[in-house]
Formats: sequence, C-alpha cells, structure tokens
Amino acid sequence: MKALKIALAVVAVPLGVMAFRLLHGDLHQTEIRSLPAVVIGWTAIATGLLAWWQRPVNRMGVLMTLFGFAVLIRTWQYSQDPWVFAVGFLLGGLSFALLGHVALAYPTGRVVDRWEVWLVRIGYATVVAFPLAILLVAPEGARLKYAPLAPGSPILVSENADLAKALEKAYVIVFFGFITTLFVVLLLRKFVKATPRARRILLPLLIAVGVAALRAFYEFLSTFGSEVPAIADYVYWWQVAGQIALSFAIVWGLLYSRLAAAHVADLMRDLDHVPPEKLRDALARALDDPSLELAFWLPERNAYADAHGKPMTLPTPGSRRAVTVLESDGEPLAALVHDPSLREDTRLLDAAGAAARLALENARLQAELRAQLVQVQESRARIVAAGDDQRRRIERDIHDGAQQRLVALALELRAAQKRLGSGLDPDLDEVLADAVDELQLAVGELRELARGVHPAILTEEGLGAALESLADRTPIPVRIVASPVERLPSEIEGAAYFVACEALANAVKHADATSVTISAARRNGTLVVEVADDGVGGARLNGGGSGLRGLSDRVEAHGGRLRIDSPPGGGTRVIGELPCAS
Amino acid sequence: MVGAWTCGIRVLPDPSGAAGPGSARWPAPLTRVTIHPMPRTVVIVDDHARFRRSARKLLELEGFDVVGEAVDGASALAEVERLRPDLVLLDVQLPDASGLDLVPLLRPISEVLLVSSRDRADVSGRVGRSDALGFIPKDQLTGEAVSAALERRR
Repeated sequence: MKALKIALAVVAVPLGVMAFRLLHGDLHQTEIRSLPAVVIGWTAIATGLLAWWQRPVNRMGVLMTLFGFAVLIRTWQYSQDPWVFAVGFLLGGLSFALLGHVALAYPTGRVVDRWEVWLVRIGYATVVAFPLAILLVAPEGARLKYAPLAPGSPILVSENADLAKALEKAYVIVFFGFITTLFVVLLLRKFVKATPRARRILLPLLIAVGVAALRAFYEFLSTFGSEVPAIADYVYWWQVAGQIALSFAIVWGLLYSRLAAAHVADLMRDLDHVPPEKLRDALARALDDPSLELAFWLPERNAYADAHGKPMTLPTPGSRRAVTVLESDGEPLAALVHDPSLREDTRLLDAAGAAARLALENARLQAELRAQLVQVQESRARIVAAGDDQRRRIERDIHDGAQQRLVALALELRAAQKRLGSGLDPDLDEVLADAVDELQLAVGELRELARGVHPAILTEEGLGAALESLADRTPIPVRIVASPVERLPSEIEGAAYFVACEALANAVKHADATSVTISAARRNGTLVVEVADDGVGGARLNGGGSGLRGLSDRVEAHGGRLRIDSPPGGGTRVIGELPCAS
Repeated sequence: MVGAWTCGIRVLPDPSGAAGPGSARWPAPLTRVTIHPMPRTVVIVDDHARFRRSARKLLELEGFDVVGEAVDGASALAEVERLRPDLVLLDVQLPDASGLDLVPLLRPISEVLLVSSRDRADVSGRVGRSDALGFIPKDQLTGEAVSAALERRR
C-alpha cells in the first residue's frame, strides 16, 4: 500500500504540469488563471495521501486523493486529442460528485444516512450520464460552454449540435442547481444534528463547501440569463478558495486530534496532583469533550458506579453516547462515556486511557469504597425499616389478638353481671365487678404497650395526628407550633415521631421541664423536627441513657442528622433533620 | 330519625351498689329511676366476631334490640340502608375503610357511636370533629355509656 501511495504522489506531478499546459497553452488562459486547478489538485492529493497514511482505515484520505486526481483530469477536456478530451470530459465531472461525497463523508469517511447515500449515488450517476450523452451527439466544433475546443467525440453516434448544447444546459441545471442544493441541505442537516464536539470539527468544512457551492449556484443561475463577468470572476476565485480550504479543513481535522494529543501530554503532567474526584474534569479537558462521564468497574458488584459509588448504567448501543471500556490486565477498569465523534480517533482515547491508568486505578478504589459505604448506608436504612415493620406488626397483633379477647371477655363478664342482677348474691357481684375492673386494667396496659411499640395513629393518620396524640398524653403542657399536613414516607414519619417521643420523655423524666414546644416542618426537602424544653439542660448525645444515642442512629440511618443543644441550666433543644424529597 | 325515638322508663340498678339519693324511702337494692330516650334498634359493625357476639349479648341485656351486624364498611352501608337502625355501633378501624369516613354516609339514616379497642387519644382528633355521637373504648362499652352518649346528643 505504501508503494501505491508513493506512486500516486509521483504521478500527480506530471498530471499537474499537464493540467497547467492545457489551461495555459491550449486554452490560452492567463498564467494566474491556469494555476488554481493545479493547486487544488495537488493540495487535495497531498492532504488526501497524508490522511490516508495517518488513518488507513478511514476512507477520507482515499476520497480526497481521488478528488484531487479528478480535478487534474478535468483539465483534459481542453485537450485537442479526441480520446484525451473524451476521458477528461467524461471523468472530470467526478470532481464535483466527489466534492459532495467528501463533504458528507467527513470526518468518518463513511456515508451512513439513507438520504445521503442516495444523494451521493445520484451525484455520481449524473456527472457521468450527462457527459456520456453529450459525447454521443456532440459534433466537432460544437462550441460547448465547458469544452470550447472540443475536437470531436471519438464515440459519436449521431451529430446533433443543438441537442448537445441542450443536454449541457440540462446538466448544469440538474447538477449545479438541484443536486448541489441537496448536498448543501444535507450537510447543514448533518451539522445541526451533530454533537457539540463533532460540530467544532465540521464547521471549517461546512464553510469551505459553502463557499465552493456559490460557484455552482452562479453557473446554475447563469443558464437562465446572460453571464455577468464581474460576478463570474468573484465566484470563480471563491470557488478556488473554497476547494483549497476544503483540503485544509481536512488537515485541520487531523491537526485537531494532534492538538488533542498535546492535551494528553498535559494530562500526564497534571495527573500527579489531580485528586480522584477531579479526574473526570482532567480527562474531559484532554479529550476536549466536556460531556465526558467516567464509570468505574466494581468487580465485587459486577457493575459500574460513578465516582461517588452510585450505580451507573452505561448507554446502550444506538444511543447518542459512545462508550469506551478501558481494561487493565484483561479486567475492565473504567468506562468512558463520551461524544461519538471521539470514536474516530481511538489512538487519542487509548493514549488518554494509558496516561490516566494509575489515576484511574486510584479513583476506582475510591469509588469502590464509596460504593461500599453507600451499601452499608442502604442496609442500615433497611434494617431500621425492617425493625419498624416488625413493630407495626407486633402492634397489630396485640391489637387484633390479646386485646380483642380481653375486651370481649370484659363485655361478657359485664353481661353475666347484668344477667345475675345485683340483688341475688352480693359476693358474686363483687367478684364479677373486680374481674371487670382487672380486665380493664389489663386492656389499658396492653394498649400502652402496643402504643410504645408503634403508635397506630402514626400509621393511620400520619405525623401531625400522632404528635397531637403524644402531646395529649404528656403530663406537662406541650405546644405544637408546626406539623406537616401532608403524609410523608412512613420511615421518615416514624423517625420524626420517635425523635419527638424520646425528647419528650427526656424532658419529663430527666429535665424537670414545665413546658415543651414541638415543631416539625419541611424546609428545602428536609423535615426538621425540633423539641425544645425549659428544663435543666445538660443532656448529651453520648451520655448516660442510650435513648438519645439510639435515636441518633435511627435518624442517621435515613441519611439525617440529630443535634442536641443543651447547656446546663438552659433547657434542651433536640433537633432532628431528615431528608425527604417531595 | 329523632321523631322515631320513643321515650321509656327503665329501672336500672345503681352501678355503685350503694343506695341512691332518697335511700330512706327506697329499700337498698332497688335503686333509682332513669327516664331516657331510647333508640331501640342497633347494628354492630366490627370485623371481630367475638366482639360482635359479646357486644350483642350485653346490649340486648341492657334492653337494646340488635337487629344486624356487619364486618366491614361496604356491608355496613348495605345493612344500615336495609335495616335503618336507630343506632350504629361502628368500629373506627375496619378492614376496608376508616369508620370515620363512614360517619357522614351513615348519619342521614342513623345515629353513629364510634368504638375502638384503642384509646381515644390513639385514634384520631377527627373523632371529636366528626358528626358521630361520640367515642367509647370497647372495654368500657355498657348500656349506660351508650345511653349517656345519646343523652348528650339531645
């Protein structure tokens, strides 16, 4: 393949010289007007071969090289040798179709979109079919607009100068009018649909092709009227500039990843002092993809997680994001979720991945630790939730079981008492009355027990009602200044209730308080429960009774926080903060 | 349904067992006379069969006429519609509904007395705000408590 490239480069030289001779010598163009075709051709071939050599898999290089040769061969249509003329006339048009093809194929080298594929095919068919048809009918000296010296077609079938001129006009209208418009429209569509990173790469090309297309539109319009030499001159030079710019746009595309490679060098330098949580930012800078996401592979979990240890699902194939998995010793290490345009440059990704490998290992370990922490937090919340569940069930069992039986028994004894009447046996009457009293005491005690386990009113009516009930039963005055009207998740209601319950018990039993204020309100997605008494203070989270410590555990299990503000002699404030997104 | 109430005179034993006022004229065990309006017919709504049975026994002994029973909210509505009792003894926690939510549906037909094996404070502030006659913890259910609740309504 290397020989082929060298051969093509070598062949391009005489072809360029030949083009100049045809334009300058045969067509009698000025020197300055004879040069552009040569420059465009050579630039395209040079950049095309460079791209081909740099990225053999990418077909951009091949397309660019072909475009360059087509531009040079197009000048053959000014030759006075019939066969050279015929080849130049027939194949020269390919330069136009190739220009469109190159524009749509950039930067991957492939045209995938259904509409684009069809347009490229139609483009090629048009630029071959029309010249072929013209060659079949154009007589010698037909004075074709684009081949004024035509020596006469070697494949002439029947002479018809008028038909040849009409065909040439139709060719211009169809190709430079409609097909070029469609190329520009599809290119714009591609640009609009592109990801931000891809747009940056596409923009220079879009400008170059747009400028070159102006000439096509001018040719199209001029078939309907007379030539305007001033404009013709302008668009001619614009077209030349556009086509040269096209080559440079593609070189820029190459340079772009070269520049990115320089970023990778920066990355290697920076990694020494980049903390793991900033690793993503450093990689995003190096790869020039602000949308970059990092996912770390956690072998224990067989899943990906972000830097905070939160589980992360990778985008599925066919989505607008691309995934590159970086491996270490055959095991996945991390995955980069990135802009699909980066996929065109796997070497860049590989380089960045290799540079960041140690840092990635570190960051992965950190992510793993965090994931474990998240897991522990979740399991703690589950344990508390299971405990609450158990409590609710026990309350329900007491209520539905023993309590109901004792109640029924009390009613039956009372019925028996009634039935016997009070006059018959005063002793028996007394025994029955005592039994009923005793049963009522037992029912009362069971009720207290059940309520302590888990208050039914909390499950059934919510935090507000449960706090009211709690306040009613407390022997000192309790003022509720705020409580949520709406229902909250049961575990949050439970935690908030037990905060209030424990703090109240504390106020009554240990603090000698004479009054208590409770407030429970939601602020910015956090339920804040505050219980303030006017007692002796001096309560500590880790001191004496385990009540407050257990409470703190319960609150933290739901990702919350318990604070106690209790200066000696200054009352006690217990504040529980529980995250509860609405 | 107030118009359908009948007034009756019943002789009740004094619950304290001691002689009431004017015991000099009334011999000891025979006691005091209470005149009270008496809704005669009752429907008991509770999902516990044992409670329905013992409550029925007790209320019947106390002179009420228990005409029907229901185990949940849906059947309660049907039974009350059909039997049109003077009073519904309604459990606060039913399997399919809160008794509190049923009160406004039953009130056009009957008086409603809420019961629960839980304490008043454990049930709901809504008991006090509801249009029911009142609330009696189940273990304190007696004919007198029912009658007293009805008295308050008058």
